[in-house]
Amino acid sequence: MKLAKFYKNSQVFKIALSIAIAVVCYIASVFYTQMRNLDSSVNLIANATETQLELEKVLSIISIYETNLRSYIITKDESYLENRFLRRGEIETNLKRINVLVANNPARVKDVKRLNELIDYRFTLFRETLLLAKSKSPNIEALKAKLQQSNNFTELMKNYVYKTINAEGDKVKIHNDNHQFELQDSIISAFLLVILSLLILLLSFNKMNVDINELKRANDELQFLNHSFNNAEKIAGFGHWKINLETNTYSFSDNFFRLLGMEPQSFVPSLENISKYLHPDDIDYVTQMHLESLQSYKPTSLMYRFVLPNGDLRYVMSAGSFTRNGKGQMVKTGVNYDMTEQHKRTIELEENNKELISINEELESFNNIVSHDLQEPLRKIQMFISRIESTEMDSISEKGRLYFNKIRISANRMQTLLIDLVNYSRTIKGDKVFEDTNLTELVHHIIEDLSSDIDDKKAKIDLGNLPTVKVISFQMEQLFINLISNSLKYSQEDIAPEISIFSKKIDQNEVFDNEIITDEDYYKIVVKDNGIGFKQEYAEKVFVLFQRLETGAKYSGTGLGLAICKRIVDNHNGFIKVVSEPNIGSTFSIFLPKKA
Amino acid sequence: MISHKDSMRILIADDDEDDRTFFSDAMMELKMNNKLTLFNDGKELMDYLANPDVILPHLLFLDLNMPRKSGFECLKEIRADLRFKDVSIAIYSTSSSEKDIEETFIEGANIYINKPNDFTELKKVVKEVLNINWQFHSSGLNKETFFFSI
Amino acid sequence: MKLYIKYDGIVACRVILQEQLERLDIKHKLLDLGEIEISDSVSDESFAELQTELNRYSIFIVDNEKSQLIQKIKDTIVEMIYQNDKLPTITISQYLAEKLNFSYGYLTNIFSEHTYSSIENFIIIQKIERAKKLIIEDQLTLTEVSYKLNYSSVAYLSSQFKKVTGLTPSAFKRIVDKRRNLSNLKK
Repeated sequence: MKLAKFYKNSQVFKIALSIAIAVVCYIASVFYTQMRNLDSSVNLIANATETQLELEKVLSIISIYETNLRSYIITKDESYLENRFLRRGEIETNLKRINVLVANNPARVKDVKRLNELIDYRFTLFRETLLLAKSKSPNIEALKAKLQQSNNFTELMKNYVYKTINAEGDKVKIHNDNHQFELQDSIISAFLLVILSLLILLLSFNKMNVDINELKRANDELQFLNHSFNNAEKIAGFGHWKINLETNTYSFSDNFFRLLGMEPQSFVPSLENISKYLHPDDIDYVTQMHLESLQSYKPTSLMYRFVLPNGDLRYVMSAGSFTRNGKGQMVKTGVNYDMTEQHKRTIELEENNKELISINEELESFNNIVSHDLQEPLRKIQMFISRIESTEMDSISEKGRLYFNKIRISANRMQTLLIDLVNYSRTIKGDKVFEDTNLTELVHHIIEDLSSDIDDKKAKIDLGNLPTVKVISFQMEQLFINLISNSLKYSQEDIAPEISIFSKKIDQNEVFDNEIITDEDYYKIVVKDNGIGFKQEYAEKVFVLFQRLETGAKYSGTGLGLAICKRIVDNHNGFIKVVSEPNIGSTFSIFLPKKA
Repeated sequence: MISHKDSMRILIADDDEDDRTFFSDAMMELKMNNKLTLFNDGKELMDYLANPDVILPHLLFLDLNMPRKSGFECLKEIRADLRFKDVSIAIYSTSSSEKDIEETFIEGANIYINKPNDFTELKKVVKEVLNINWQFHSSGLNKETFFFSI
Repeated sequence: MKLYIKYDGIVACRVILQEQLERLDIKHKLLDLGEIEISDSVSDESFAELQTELNRYSIFIVDNEKSQLIQKIKDTIVEMIYQNDKLPTITISQYLAEKLNFSYGYLTNIFSEHTYSSIENFIIIQKIERAKKLIIEDQLTLTEVSYKLNYSSVAYLSSQFKKVTGLTPSAFKRIVDKRRNLSNLKK
């Protein structure tokens, strides 16, 4: 892993490469000097060999000469002497060649000089011998002596020449040994050079290959991204643009053109060309904001309209910001987003909203009518009833009293209905201020407020510990008032009502809104009674507006109480459930979210 | 000290004739030796109070919904006049909305009565209001924090 | 602007009495609980003047002994509720009987006869009055108030508060705060 990373690091690679090149250069220079040395050795050897050859030639010429001379002395045939001057000339040329060969060897030059003298003296001896042999009366003794001297001298000269040749041979041998050595070194150097070069070549090739592959992959990815980006632009309905501030060139994406109802890249991107599509009312403000931003480099966020060639209007949100490109040039880039649909929807929503507000206002005035104007006359009816009851009842007939009582009951029922209606409408509209409320205290107050009803029914109320919850407290009050009043109202005839209010752990399989809910997210508060109850099949129905299960005169309900309860719990994003059994009682469970 | 034998001067402004009758009947039946003056609306009441020589009442009942001048307007005007700083103001209204209760208290009312729908209840309420008001007058309690809602 | 003041009615009353009595040159000794001992005889004119002067401050000279006793009951209750930082745990009825040397039954009878309310009612009103002060002026929490005034629980205090004022303590505080803001705005 580490190595691979190391390998991929081009900096490291560069350093390695330069070191390798330096090594190659060094080896190459060593190789070069070795080759030079080799070359000079070869020259030297050739030189020495040639010198040897020339020297031997000289010797052989002298031998031939001597043989010819002897032959003449024996035969007296003049023809043996014919070539004697030519022989002397040959030796001269040989010596000249040797001189050239040994020119840069002072010791050898001296040797050659000595050889020259020896040769000269030998030829003197030849001449003297020839003179003796040609004389008419040859002194045999003298000739014999001269021949002997010549012979001896030749032997001496031969020895000398062979000594020189040997010396030259030794030199060649030494050179040859050196040459062998150098040759081996050179071969190793050359081998190393080739191997190293090959290695560098391979490494470079591999590195290049890897780099190219990477580049190719990056390029592919970029192309893919570009493609997806273009697609995304098309699907999401936005186009992007770019302005190079340095070169003052504009570029627009393909979808930018499409948003204008144009073919991609169908005109040259420029401020002037794009202005043609701006709504006349927007041109000044957009151009001004844009040009200002080019000075201040502050991001822009503009909303304006394009007029398409076919006359359509398009609402566009254009957001731009500044950045520097790879070359360090300041560039403004941005996105144009087609808001036309949203704009239409917003307008629609606004209109709906206006309508809703007016409906709400009507509802509120209706609510006022119910809560005030209707209650006024009713309150007076009740007032007069109470006055008659306290002072005039004695003077009315039995039947009259009965009717009168019915009037009172009806009036009271109407009042309850009006109050419930007001309460119900208050749960729809009205201030929804959520505040932390201690439900134990809240229910405690309610129990106090209801104390006269509770005492009348001889009811036993058991209040457990309830949590503190963020709620709309007046609505919560209403909720518990309704539930407790219900329990009091729908109690069994001969059994004193027992109502308990407590918080409870949530069952494991409690479901709300298709989700299993737990104690972590919800409070569960239970209001349980031992009243008349109802069949479980009505458990949903009881919460519906104006749905009453008991219609007898004994139970004076309005059909609003539990609907109000449901509404209130809905307002708190909670839910309410009931489990009931006739003649056993009802258990209402209220679930309130812990996070409001 | 004030003895309860001293009569308490009480004013009431209500445009509803029946309500005025109920109120004065209740007061009478309580036999509490108070001096009650009735006004048909807020304007009439304010005209009466505008007289600088007026003998200040101890307690003033105001209906909220009145033509010409609402109880709320009367309340504001009276509380803006330092002459009436010792006068207790009771709002006497059919509205039982918390909003109305709080707003009138904030504007300077001391008592808020939700008009009962039973005459016996009315007598009880009036009696209680007179009592608590008397306590505040006679026991040196802080008027600034005198609120009573029934 | 509007100033909010804290005052001690008893001390203020004593200062007023002292000033008025000294102004009229009446030799006196201020006793506890609304009693003044006059050493010399006082002329009718001086007495009448004293009476009118004191009436201006809603201070009345009481001649009736029963009225005096009622005043004493009230003063004792007020003193008990206000003087101590924390109410004594002794019951008020016991405290009254010991302090005034009358049986509690006698005291309640007299009190109810001559005022519109009972001693218990008066005590409740006074306690709630103190509670109001503690909430508004001292910014105490309900828990602190209920401890100081010997309520068995916060719930009990707030339900009694609701009974006397018709408001919950928090609504009460909200109203007072808003009222003060409003009058500050007007200034």
